[in-house]
Amino acid sequence: MKAFVAIIAGCFVLSLSSAAAAAPEDVANDISMHVMSPFCPGVTLHDCPTENATALRERIVTMVEQGFTRGQILDFIEREYGVATRATPDPSGTGILVWLLPGVAAIGGAAIAWHLARRWVRVPATPEGYNPDVHVTEEDRRRLERELKRFKDEG
Amino acid sequence: MASLAGLGAPSLVAAALFAVVALLISVAGARLGRHDLAVAGRRAMTVSFGFTVLATIALLTALKAHDFSLDYVARYSSRSLSGPYTLAALWGGMEGSLLFWTLLLTGFSSLALTRVPIRDPRPHAWATAVLAGIATFFLVLLVAPATPFAELSPPPADGSGLNPLLQSPGMLIHPPLLYTGFVGFSIPFAFAMGALLSGRIDDGWFTSTRRWTLFAWSALSIGIVLGGAWAYTELGWGGYWAWDPVENASFMPWLTATAFLHSVVIQEKRRMLKVWNVTLILLTYVLAVFGTFLTRSGILSSIHTFTEGPIGKWFLPFLALMLIGGLAVIIMRLDRLRSENRFDAIVSRESAFLANNVLFMAAAFAVLWGTIYPIVAEVTSGVRLSVGPPFFNSVFVPIALAILLLTGIGPLISWRRMSRGAFSRIVRAPLAGGVSAIAILALAGVDSVGALLAFGLCVFTTTAVLGEFVRGSSVYRAQGVPWLAALARTIGRNRRRYGGYIVHLGVVLIVIGLAGGAFKTERHALLERGQDMRVGAYTLTYEDLSRSETPEKQINTVVVSVTRGEEVVTTLTPERNFHLAQGQPQSEVAIRTTPVEDLYVVVTSIDPDGAAALRAFVNPLTWWIWSGAAVMLAGMAILLSSPAPVAQPGPARREIQQAAVALR
Repeated sequence: MKAFVAIIAGCFVLSLSSAAAAAPEDVANDISMHVMSPFCPGVTLHDCPTENATALRERIVTMVEQGFTRGQILDFIEREYGVATRATPDPSGTGILVWLLPGVAAIGGAAIAWHLARRWVRVPATPEGYNPDVHVTEEDRRRLERELKRFKDEG
Repeated sequence: MASLAGLGAPSLVAAALFAVVALLISVAGARLGRHDLAVAGRRAMTVSFGFTVLATIALLTALKAHDFSLDYVARYSSRSLSGPYTLAALWGGMEGSLLFWTLLLTGFSSLALTRVPIRDPRPHAWATAVLAGIATFFLVLLVAPATPFAELSPPPADGSGLNPLLQSPGMLIHPPLLYTGFVGFSIPFAFAMGALLSGRIDDGWFTSTRRWTLFAWSALSIGIVLGGAWAYTELGWGGYWAWDPVENASFMPWLTATAFLHSVVIQEKRRMLKVWNVTLILLTYVLAVFGTFLTRSGILSSIHTFTEGPIGKWFLPFLALMLIGGLAVIIMRLDRLRSENRFDAIVSRESAFLANNVLFMAAAFAVLWGTIYPIVAEVTSGVRLSVGPPFFNSVFVPIALAILLLTGIGPLISWRRMSRGAFSRIVRAPLAGGVSAIAILALAGVDSVGALLAFGLCVFTTTAVLGEFVRGSSVYRAQGVPWLAALARTIGRNRRRYGGYIVHLGVVLIVIGLAGGAFKTERHALLERGQDMRVGAYTLTYEDLSRSETPEKQINTVVVSVTRGEEVVTTLTPERNFHLAQGQPQSEVAIRTTPVEDLYVVVTSIDPDGAAALRAFVNPLTWWIWSGAAVMLAGMAILLSSPAPVAQPGPARREIQQAAVALR
């Protein structure tokens, strides 16, 4: 098992170190995936098909080529078009809630499930011979009832 | 024709009245325990369905006849709209889609109530009452605030037509499948509520509706994938899933329904998680209706628009009634929903199912929270914020990878208990496969950690699931049966189990396709005729532009030759069209698909001098998504063909089972 973990860790280090520097258009595409389009409601700038969106995407490419950082470009778009263009709320302030709650829910759910499973395991288990994969048919049931009735009548 | 359309509104009133009658008779039948009233309630529901069919035929006839005296027909169809899309306009707008929803609801209700035999009138009559109550709600909407039969005077000479984006073959299949899924869940929901309200809580509610649950889940699954295919081929942004609220609305009930399909196995096999299962089916149905509310109320554009819309203010009390009422009924019956068994060990298939449920619920919550957060933020702070794909990808992808891991582990673990040694032995081969895949891909230069993990887990899960097929077939192989025949017999012997495994293999293929998205390449260029651009290993040359016109649109076809090095690969012909009725431009994508990668080209604009702006994508492995869906469909067909489990009414199932086995 340890060997497997070591191999996986090594592969990840290798994969990270082999990452090449991205072209400006790739950087711009990535940025446009993190901006909600001011021109198409509910859609990222990357996915918005309008000509205005195309023009803004091209402007981002130019800004990347001019050396603007990702943060500067995102700030520029927010200043120009409003806070709703951020595809994710700012994690500072109340925006932290959007990130925090799913994690809290997942961890809470896992903790409850773990607690229940542990509690259920402590209680005496199923009697020997029980197998949930065994299928009981209606015929089995009827025969069982007949046999029980016969047993009771004979007894 | 106009006279038949005139039957629409009265038919809806009659359908609503019979739904109310069905509701009242069924409640009486349930309270008095009378078989005849249960049957009468069911018949009233069937009559309600009959009138809904009549109303639907009236609207379809009006659409076909271009009867623009109806506002709905004028808004969603036009004379130039081709035949199939004229009929698809039935679900192209809000009123029509509500009518279609109600048609399915009353139809499914009638069919399910007829097919499920009335062994005990009380749960059956309560289930009828629940279905009739839901039908009454939708029919009241259709009679008053959202009628598709509102008249327009004077009628226009032509209609506005259907949105060009919706004029695609996907539009003919995708929405009906989604609605079939949404509405289909009303059947297990109603029977679960029927069992709870009547106090007759055995396995009957889920064994008798198992096929309905599977059918609804299958329709929703395929509907979601087809929605992705429609987005991919129509919207022109090179992707298939954007995490927009409409997509999320269909995905949330799918997640909870998938959790239900897994956890109900524990109830069937071990008579545990009864509270959880009724809660899951309640949540699934509430989320299905909530999705309709989200997408039809206007609340997503702004909190202020939904009260101005015709149906938003109706949906909210209905949703609250279903959720609070459903939870109240569950709480009322908690004493009869106690588990009859316990876990034997932490390392067991039961635990794997439990973990699976936690992950599916976490995923559903994350999607729900991300979808409604903009509304919550607007209500609490007055500022409209956005939650887009980066949030959903960050939160959902790790959960999805954990689910994939469990998909591989689940079949390997036995019921009740498994020793650590046995678990280590059985997990060794899949683990070796997964780790080897990661190592090979990393050495080959794959530089995305997420994609490496996804590919590794896909190999892990595939090895684990295929191992089950090999182990299952080995019995027949030992008897000299050829491989394929042995495999067929193995699947035939336990269609439910192996159908499920085939669905899992389909999911693995879909994940392979999704992981390929990490290596997407995209370029954009404005080209004059004869100029070229590069994307990935391809060179695209703008060869020619041809123009033509139909009654619906002006068509501008750009001819693009594709080469890779010296090799001529193909010629693609993306279009940039102008739809006359809507006065709207629309791109038609050109795609060259192979199992390795798709070359996807879209024209974003054409200048008056003929220069074309092209956006080109190389999307690796996208083909696997659609192939995975086909494999899932095959698995679903096998699952649906499996015999229904037999309900075990009494709590003494263990004793019965042991005695039955002893008698054999």
